[in-house]
Amino acid sequence: MFNTLIDGYTQSILIFIGINIIVAYSFFAPFKTGQVSIGQAGFMAVGAYASAVLTQKFGAPFIVSVPVAGLIAGVVGVVIGFPALRIKGIYLLLLTLGFSEIIQVIVLSWDYVGGAQGYRNIPFNRHTLESVIVVVALLIFFFGRLERSSLGRAMDSIHQDETASEVMGIDVVRIKLFAFGIGATVAGIAGALYAHQLTYVDSTTFNVMMSIEILIFVVVGGASTYWGPVVGAVVLSLLPELLRTLREWLELLPVAWTNFYPADKIYDFLHGFLDFENAKRLIVYGIILIVMMIVRPDGLITRDSIPRISLKRWRARHA
Amino acid sequence: MIYQQLINGLMLGASYSLVAIGYTLIFGVLNLLYFAHGEVFMIGAFVGLFLVVYAGANIYGALLGAMVICGILGAIAVFIAVRPVPKDRPLAPLISTIGLTIVIQNLTIYLNGGQQLAFPETIAQKLYHIGPVTISAAQLFILGVALALMVLLWLFIERSKMGRAIRATAENHETAALLGVNVNRVVLITFIIGSGIAGVAGVLDGVKNSSISPFMGLGAAVKGLIVMLLGGLGNVPGAMVAGLMLGMIEILSAAYIGTTERDFFSFLILILILLWRPTGLFGTRTAERR
Repeated sequence: MFNTLIDGYTQSILIFIGINIIVAYSFFAPFKTGQVSIGQAGFMAVGAYASAVLTQKFGAPFIVSVPVAGLIAGVVGVVIGFPALRIKGIYLLLLTLGFSEIIQVIVLSWDYVGGAQGYRNIPFNRHTLESVIVVVALLIFFFGRLERSSLGRAMDSIHQDETASEVMGIDVVRIKLFAFGIGATVAGIAGALYAHQLTYVDSTTFNVMMSIEILIFVVVGGASTYWGPVVGAVVLSLLPELLRTLREWLELLPVAWTNFYPADKIYDFLHGFLDFENAKRLIVYGIILIVMMIVRPDGLITRDSIPRISLKRWRARHA
Repeated sequence: MIYQQLINGLMLGASYSLVAIGYTLIFGVLNLLYFAHGEVFMIGAFVGLFLVVYAGANIYGALLGAMVICGILGAIAVFIAVRPVPKDRPLAPLISTIGLTIVIQNLTIYLNGGQQLAFPETIAQKLYHIGPVTISAAQLFILGVALALMVLLWLFIERSKMGRAIRATAENHETAALLGVNVNRVVLITFIIGSGIAGVAGVLDGVKNSSISPFMGLGAAVKGLIVMLLGGLGNVPGAMVAGLMLGMIEILSAAYIGTTERDFFSFLILILILLWRPTGLFGTRTAERR
């Protein structure tokens, strides 16, 4: 559908942003109950390899393989999540980290899925963009409903205080396990979509840095509302594009404005700073993270900022 | 054969221990997973290499220089990414130190390129034969420096006034502050000490592997975390023993089972410890359950 409307470059950026939104939600679900996971890339790997095997070795269509890959990742998630119920905080962080590292070692040494050579010739899905849009829409709808449902409030309550929630009659074990499983399922779907876009994955594709990036999306976007993961993933995915655009704008300035001292020095500095070279871009990214955490530790969007931009509130004020 | 492997394991473990000591000290006083520690280790290796190659320093000069520069780096980390960040949100300091990790690593890549550098030979090649074991002068040196540093640190923590303040802060911030401990200063000093030791570990790693790269930090950080957990969070002697243990386990599994399975075992141990004994093998110094 979009192949004729949007050029390939824009499409790949949109797919990239969409998958980042999906993985951000996969972290958001367990985090809503206070469980911090830096193993989401491990669940992505499970989904990616599962869907690759299903399509390439068993000839399954994408419409079947992607959800099934999500389910497999979800089952793995529940298996991991069950012992993880007993521990929290830094212990859970390290457990999920260990899990994703073990997944990496398994795919590295398992020859059925390519071993050290990586998984090659994964079938390419021409409809990845459509699939990503559908999944993102479903997730926003689901988490929007969840926020106002009794289940969502129970999750928030567990995040605040587990013991108090249990005393209030909330089934803490079931809800935490459910949240962890949903997170793993969503990550598995994202991994499957990603694999069919790249057509090649190996053991280093889904590494620790990827899990950390997923965590950063949610914390920078804001974890107190379901719009946070979307905002974080979109802003941080577009950041390199944004830097490049700023540089192009800078180059549009008339020469007469910048060819005298000290404006030329400032121009050179900014021009160099906005360079699209990888290491420099990542330095800027790191600085932005530190500044963000000092200035807005709750993320770009919080629950208070949603009503401010809501249409209903604006109408009420200007009635 | 087995004795030789045990010695190799001890060597590997010594650098794990040194990295983990910094982690566990910092975790103890601040209750914070400090992500940039692996990059401090990497910077230590680079400082050592530059001192040897461009300043003509010997290995002792390189160790001392790396220790000082990394100590300063630790202090900078406190002022940039720890103090200004609000403490009541558990993920904010984690993200800010991840940001610092990204900045340090990519600054190194930007200034120096992403390639590996050969670490110059600073210790004469000489082999000693002790019974069935062959040990090189460099290995002996690494082991000696690591063990000496651990003993010094242990004495500092257990005997000195500052060490007592660090232990008190690790147990409880408020109580320590009430008893007259300047908590902010203790945190700063802990970062400086932990980072200095990581710097030494970086140089020793360069001597051992004869090469360093800007990407060596992440692996060291992850292994350091496992060792910290194995020894018990905040438990310094625990981290020392656990590091040596993990090194031996890895070398033995690499020698007798397979090199790809080596990491598998260390992570399996991590998970088993988390499920079976989250306080680590030797118990945590910080009493509170997290």
